[in-house]
Amino acid sequence: MPWYLYLALKQLFPTGRRFPFFTAISVLGVALGVAVLVISTSVMGGFGHKIREMTVDTQGDVQVRGDGLIETPAEVQAQLAKIPGVIATTPFAEGPVAIMHAQKPQFPALQGIDVTRVSQVIPLARYVHPAGALAELDDDSIILGSQLALALGARVGSKVEVASPLAYEKFKRDEIFLPRELRVVGYFEFGHQALDTSVALVTLRAMQDLYGLGGGVHGLNVKLAPGLDPDAMTARINAALPPAARLHARSWLDLNQDFLFVLQFERNIMFFLLMFIVVVAAFSVTSSLLISVVRKTREIGLLGALGGKPRQVAACFCFQGFFIGVAGTAVGLALGFGVLHVRDDIVEIFTKLTQSEAAMLRFYQFRHLPSYTDPNYLVAIVIGTIGISTLAGLLPAWRAAKLKPVEALRSE
Amino acid sequence: MSNAILSSRALAKSYLSGDRCIEVLRGVDLEVAAGESVSIRGESGSGKSTLLNLLSGLDTADRGALAWADGPALADRRAEFLGMVFQAFYLIPEIDAFQNVLMAARILRAPGAAERARAKELLARVGLAERATHLPAQLSGGERQRVAVARALMNSPKLLLADEPTGNLDEHTGDAVIALLLDLCRETGTALVLVTHNVAHAQKTNRQLFLREGKLSHG
Ligand SMILES: Nc1ncnc2c1ncn2[C@@H]1O[C@H](COP(=O)(O)OP(=O)(O)O)[C@@H](O)[C@H]1O
Ligand SMILES: [Mg+2]
Repeated sequence: MPWYLYLALKQLFPTGRRFPFFTAISVLGVALGVAVLVISTSVMGGFGHKIREMTVDTQGDVQVRGDGLIETPAEVQAQLAKIPGVIATTPFAEGPVAIMHAQKPQFPALQGIDVTRVSQVIPLARYVHPAGALAELDDDSIILGSQLALALGARVGSKVEVASPLAYEKFKRDEIFLPRELRVVGYFEFGHQALDTSVALVTLRAMQDLYGLGGGVHGLNVKLAPGLDPDAMTARINAALPPAARLHARSWLDLNQDFLFVLQFERNIMFFLLMFIVVVAAFSVTSSLLISVVRKTREIGLLGALGGKPRQVAACFCFQGFFIGVAGTAVGLALGFGVLHVRDDIVEIFTKLTQSEAAMLRFYQFRHLPSYTDPNYLVAIVIGTIGISTLAGLLPAWRAAKLKPVEALRSE
Repeated sequence: MSNAILSSRALAKSYLSGDRCIEVLRGVDLEVAAGESVSIRGESGSGKSTLLNLLSGLDTADRGALAWADGPALADRRAEFLGMVFQAFYLIPEIDAFQNVLMAARILRAPGAAERARAKELLARVGLAERATHLPAQLSGGERQRVAVARALMNSPKLLLADEPTGNLDEHTGDAVIALLLDLCRETGTALVLVTHNVAHAQKTNRQLFLREGKLSHG
């Protein structure tokens, strides 16, 4: 080992010192920055991931809609099925309704789904309870969002009354209107507050009746073969659809682009701001190394007298910054992933202490704190931290290299 | 002179202090033969340290010529050609006595078994065999200076330059260090230039010189 690396290590871990304070504090400072970066980008990434997953799980990869109602969905489905890369399609109709149960009204969005085909496109069954409820759904039954069911006070087996805006038309024409009575066969829980409180599912047939759509639908959800780029496939689908049909395909990426952009933007800004924690830690490394250079002026002079070259003296201090960066990154990663591992416990304790469980759920949409560590961020954190720490050693190193042995030895 | 280990001709050095120019050395001629010991005395501020820094090549003269053994005084040759001992000991506080001695070799090349053995032997020779693993902070002043002497001799130099090595030590300890220094130089055939205020110490060397008004003189 070259003498300057040996000396750098000895300055970090002095012989006979059981606990190297300077090193421990410096490493801890950098580690805290890294840990905060890892935790926050992972949780942000988790939210993003969860939202993406849920979006695909509820919308499918691609959605095809018309300018108005699609009157002949079977025809469009046949056209879509011919496009390579399209695995399955399922039609849907949607619209707001009033639901009453025991005098409690709610106004969710009702989705009419094709029970026989929906599972090929959207993994709904995964979110529906009790298991098998989706198969039980018929034209006289309904599946409620879990929070919606709670708000209505409805359980499996309850009967709810459903009225569409069509009722209003009938009122105006003085026709007799009777709301449709549907039996609750189950509830779904996406774990996403907005969906669980304000969506209910019925069969496509029931929805078409409620809204007077005849055989028409509002759109089709399309499932793509795994691994295909949704945007590229969307372009292909748009090209394949006959222009006269006035149909437009949009990928889920496109449908949610504003939201996805905000998500990514927030994450980048957060990363940038939190990187400053590492920069601040690096400044403290710089200042302690500078103090060390001043304190060791005469020893540095002696090393020069013994034949040490200025760039070797510089390397000795630069390496200390580098080492603190590497150790800080390692400790920080361990700390960060450790905290992520027990994140649900931490959130639970925190919300219990502050009695904010309900608020958490309302604002953050998810029951569990999601986490997804983007490898790109991880690489940026590791390289950024080690780079910044090494830079932190540069100024002290330069000061040390500039010392002339004669002057250094003379200094008091 | 063929066996001169060091020779300087008309070395001159002045410092700018504000707008005044202080001529510290005004032509120093000095020849040191191999194995010879020379002492230099002089008043404080007479330029003794300045002279040693020129001789060691740490500083450059304004005028004059300097040669080491059979070649020029080059910074690259310094560590192998000469050893230095100072009034302050300049030991590295984070490493023990043994590693401090070994450091002189480590800077030149990765130390092997031979270097380690020599460092051990030198520590034993300066009477610190038992203290090899002690940190500088755990040693007394005299012991630290003895470690510094061992370090100065680590690379088997031909010349040892000692600048008031007893300046920070009490009389008794100082006497012991000087005796050790002279003994070691005699044993190893190392030439010694000793700067000191102490007449008794100076008289133990082969030749006694004075630095006065920028020049060296006998007696
Ligand atoms: N770097 C310097 N700048 C200005 N003056 C110096 C410098 N080094 C030494 N001197 C001056 O040169 C003179 C000789 O100093 P020095 O060689 O240290 O004396 P000695 O070692 O004999 O006590 C002193 O007057 C000192 O102030
Ligand atoms: Mg002096």
